[in-house]
Amino acid sequence: MDKVIKMDNIYKNYKLGQVNVEALKGINLEVEKGEFISIMGPSGSGKSTLLNLIGCLDKPTKGLYELDGNRVEKLNDYQLSEIRNNFLGFVFQSFNLLSSLNAIKNVEIPLIYRGIRKKVRKELCKEALEVVGLGDRMHHLPNQLSGGQQQRVAIARAIVGKPAVILADEPTGALDSKTGNDIMDIFQKLNKENNMTIVQVTHEEDIAKIGNRIIRLIDGYIQ
Amino acid sequence: MKEYEGSKSSLVRLYFTAKMALNGLTSNLLRTFLTVLGILIGVASVVSLMGIGEGARRTVVEQFESLGKNVVIVKSNQPALNFEPEEYIELLDRVDGLEYATSIVNTETNIRWRRSRGEIEILGVNEQYPIIRDHELIDGNFFSSLHVKQRSPVAILGYNVAVSLLNGRSPVGQSMTIDGISYRIIGVLARKGNGKGEGIDNKVIIPYTSAMKIDGNRTVSEIWGKSDSPENAALSIVQLGRIYKRQLGIYDKDTDTGGEDGNEGGGEEPGIPIEEPIKEVGTAKPQPQSQNNPIFDNSDDLITVTSLNQLVKEADNANRVMTLLLGGIAAVSLLVGGLGIMNIMLVAVSERTSEIGVRRALGAKKYDLLIQFMLEALYVSIIGCIIGIAVGIYVINLFNRNGLDAVVSLQAVKISTVVALTSGLLFGVYPAYMASNLPPVEALNRK
Repeated sequence: MDKVIKMDNIYKNYKLGQVNVEALKGINLEVEKGEFISIMGPSGSGKSTLLNLIGCLDKPTKGLYELDGNRVEKLNDYQLSEIRNNFLGFVFQSFNLLSSLNAIKNVEIPLIYRGIRKKVRKELCKEALEVVGLGDRMHHLPNQLSGGQQQRVAIARAIVGKPAVILADEPTGALDSKTGNDIMDIFQKLNKENNMTIVQVTHEEDIAKIGNRIIRLIDGYIQ
Repeated sequence: MKEYEGSKSSLVRLYFTAKMALNGLTSNLLRTFLTVLGILIGVASVVSLMGIGEGARRTVVEQFESLGKNVVIVKSNQPALNFEPEEYIELLDRVDGLEYATSIVNTETNIRWRRSRGEIEILGVNEQYPIIRDHELIDGNFFSSLHVKQRSPVAILGYNVAVSLLNGRSPVGQSMTIDGISYRIIGVLARKGNGKGEGIDNKVIIPYTSAMKIDGNRTVSEIWGKSDSPENAALSIVQLGRIYKRQLGIYDKDTDTGGEDGNEGGGEEPGIPIEEPIKEVGTAKPQPQSQNNPIFDNSDDLITVTSLNQLVKEADNANRVMTLLLGGIAAVSLLVGGLGIMNIMLVAVSERTSEIGVRRALGAKKYDLLIQFMLEALYVSIIGCIIGIAVGIYVINLFNRNGLDAVVSLQAVKISTVVALTSGLLFGVYPAYMASNLPPVEALNRK
């Protein structure tokens, strides 16, 4: 099987005021294509930092990181933007849709930054919105949608560019449990039917179990 | 990704970025309006204030130009130094650059037209006057050299005088009594307009020989000449200056003893080289000589020689400086408007931090955000600039309707556009830079 994520001895330090924080202390992590893994750990264990590194939002202090065959730890800001745009899809806890744009426009954003023309864009976005079951709400603004619907738009936005990995940061954290389960069903479906690689961070055991592997972080180490 | 290769265009992101910048403006209309207002007021004040300055400048220039082009004036500031009535003939002969010249007699006397009496200003000149002043006649003819020589009782009327006599019908061919003598009206001058041509519209023009008789003087205090080009006018000034300096060499001694005497002698033989000829004579180059210059205000000079060209230039320069000063003051308010843009843009950046983070996560590059926020600032200044110019023009019209001479000056429009756009860009750069340099992680986590 192909390795989508390959992390070798990753360290991450950052400064919090005057204090030097060692957030990650030698992480070794491999994720294969089609895996659905859950990262768990108490707050301060470094799970958000790890997710940021996987998401190429930040660079490791030390170590090697290969994402879908690309060595990314040495890339500059411009190149990291392209990696994020082409290889990653993000789902956030608080949805983070742009409030001035309707559902389909929000889904379009990653494709726009790729420079894809409108006609092709619309097709892909419709497809993605239908996958998450929102084919009929394409022209609604975020504030006209429920939390679950907003999160589905966010998932559509994450999958529209057919990324190598979908990263979800507490995707159910802002939702009630029923809606949360609906969202997890979508993730499961994407994982099983579309063979999508998913990495999620969560602190709920039930949610974590939906994935096929759980990685537990404590004090910057993988247990 | 390769599958969309054919359907890609780099314009897609630019268009989107431009649209998002517009979204940023429309998301808080009141704030946008207030920011635009800052630029708008600045631009409008530059355009209107410079319009006033430019209007004043043009008025002054027009007034001078109405006195004729390339006109040279020789004026004595002391009666003792006045010129012989025919001295201009000699000057025409001796001064190369001079094409035309006339003695000028300004006087005032009583006139009678039919049964009404009154006082009127009389201008005594020779037959070359219309050429010197670039003044046309609307009826009849100007008097000839023969009229001048024979001291004929003929009169040319200024426009307003002519109109007032016969309710607008031409009085040419009629007679009027000036200082007890009946004059035949043979021509009417074209209109110069209010305040132009030294009020010629309200004067009666007669041969200077006749005017001297009314005036009672045997000499004249002013000679007007004309050159065919600005260069020749400058040359004439130099030569005239030299001639009269040399003469004043005599008068410096004689004025103390007897003015009348020296007056006559000097007028007849101005060329006699007496005692110490002045040193500056050597500089024959036609350069504007400032010591010869201010005829109207500097009475320290005994005889002043100047050209209207110089006066126009000086007045023009003074006014131009004033215009720029006004514009400069207004431009400061434009800069303040620019600061307003920066202020609001900084607020916008900190308000939209998490949006910036989301964009970065979805693949926006630094320059996408840089362009977005720069454009947002630029939109404000462009809108402010366009409306500001419109308001400025409207204000100028208001001024004009209330009797102020203001004009829309292209220079003002250019200056305010350039200043507004650069201040928009300049003050947009810093907030845009802040936005684009936020680390994605930090931006995403900030609320």
